[in-house]
Amino acid sequence: MPELIHVARDEDRDTYYLNMGPQHPSTHGVLRLRLLLKGEEILTAEPIVGYSHRAHEKMAENRNYIQFLPNTSRIDYLSGMIYNIGYCQAIERILELEVPERAEYIRIICCELNRISSHLLWYGTLLLDLGGFTPFLYCWDDREEILDLLDAITGSRLTYSYGRFGGVGMDVDEEFLSGVSAFCKRFRERLPEYETLVTKNIIFENRCKDVGIMDLEMAREFAVTGPMLRALGEPRDLRKDEPYGIYDKFDFEIPTRTGGDTYDRFLVRVEEIQQSLSIVEQAVSRIPDGPVMMAKPPRKIKPPEGEYYFAVESARGHFGMFIVSDGSEIPERIHLRTPSFANLASLREMLPGTMIADTIAILGSIDIVLPEIDR
Amino acid sequence: MQAILDVSRGALSLLRGMGVTLRNFFRKPVTVEYPRKRAKVSKNHRNAIALIEAGNIGSHNCIACLQCEKICPSACISITGTRPDGVPFKRPDKFDLDFALCSECGLCVDVCPTNTLGYSEEYDTAGYTRADFKYDLLQPWLSREDQAIERIREAERRKKEEREAKRKAQAEARARAEAEKREQQPESAAKQDQDGERGTGI
Repeated sequence: MPELIHVARDEDRDTYYLNMGPQHPSTHGVLRLRLLLKGEEILTAEPIVGYSHRAHEKMAENRNYIQFLPNTSRIDYLSGMIYNIGYCQAIERILELEVPERAEYIRIICCELNRISSHLLWYGTLLLDLGGFTPFLYCWDDREEILDLLDAITGSRLTYSYGRFGGVGMDVDEEFLSGVSAFCKRFRERLPEYETLVTKNIIFENRCKDVGIMDLEMAREFAVTGPMLRALGEPRDLRKDEPYGIYDKFDFEIPTRTGGDTYDRFLVRVEEIQQSLSIVEQAVSRIPDGPVMMAKPPRKIKPPEGEYYFAVESARGHFGMFIVSDGSEIPERIHLRTPSFANLASLREMLPGTMIADTIAILGSIDIVLPEIDR
Repeated sequence: MQAILDVSRGALSLLRGMGVTLRNFFRKPVTVEYPRKRAKVSKNHRNAIALIEAGNIGSHNCIACLQCEKICPSACISITGTRPDGVPFKRPDKFDLDFALCSECGLCVDVCPTNTLGYSEEYDTAGYTRADFKYDLLQPWLSREDQAIERIREAERRKKEEREAKRKAQAEARARAEAEKREQQPESAAKQDQDGERGTGI
């Protein structure tokens, strides 16, 4: 920060600081961007985070492993299911618990639906920030259907605590499965509509193409993951690289682009929605019968003493959990490696040299969720 | 030339977009206008917890085992219980929920051994003070508590009587069998089968 203060020299009177946020509508949460501007050009940019810090990591240290379960979906409330089930999978991996086949399929369906809903929200808000109000409402309409479906089985719209150590909380019925297939069918019909409305729109194209270009070296420096990295031509996805759960049984592709600008990030996510849809359809068609909870789940969760790391692919990238256990019921430490935090840091290098109007597009294309950054 | 091409391409993309919006303009509205209409809530939706009626006693079946209080991550449940005379388990005197702290995770409902915890139907509660969210879950059951205890006692009494009658019948049957055995084989009568018949307590 001191470095920034030196830049604002007295003799250079055309430069000035602009605080974008913490309550700017396009920051989706409380992010403050300290921009040093010369006219409309950005000279330096500094993201300042921490406004919605809720100490999830600290909370983990004074409650047992089961009691931390509701916290996990609140880390990132837009793709809470992936975080929630990821945490369960981490504990299962440590304790070597067997999860029934049906529960694994339900997990895949829920996680992928959640990924679609998260991407839909991002899609809508990016367009909203860029001035397109209509697509936002369409996205919300489709997202609402997913939320209703997930609400019916998990009992919550966003902060699911659905995963259990050794299965899932509730079995799904035929109504849910047919609802999911109906949604997939309807949503596939809607996607071309989205494409005509947004992807092929000339205003959108001009605002996003060649804006916020990132190169591979920069991405590696900032440990950027998820769709942002895939927009640079790196097909990195934990679902393929290190298949957890039963992702290796599904046939899907990792969409990549090579440009690394805002438009490419947009296209990667849109293609990801389609891939997720195909995973959901495969899972619904192949879901076996059986129990959704292991026969004898452990009453007390006591991982053996040691350090463990487990990571899943969230809607935003690599979500890792570093769990240190001292052999007791209460974790010694749980560190959460959240993808947006690393992705957001790249703004520092992406923003300088661009115009202030592009900030909104670049910020939107990162797909940040502030509670997940602050945790 | 390029400019003309750009303009025509742009106009076309805009017109196509307008076409999509026009098509959607004639769709049925999806919005539920909330205060006047209420959205359907799924039957599994997690709200504030409530005690559920157990069929046979005409009241809730909370046994004040404190499992929900122990598992609650937000420490929003507080229960005290005492054991009335003639009842084999505790009954709660106080079952308070501080809903302002509750995160609706549902761990308490999962852990309940008598399945007496469930979710209430209300989902849009509002209040001006934190005290507005301190719920007394026993409130709806207060008038039925005496009756419920009476019913449990009666059920217990009946169970005890049944148990005693069973034990008596068994003892009689055993005595008769022994007598018969003794008559037939007097030497093997010493070998008694010792089956530890225990009463099934709750």
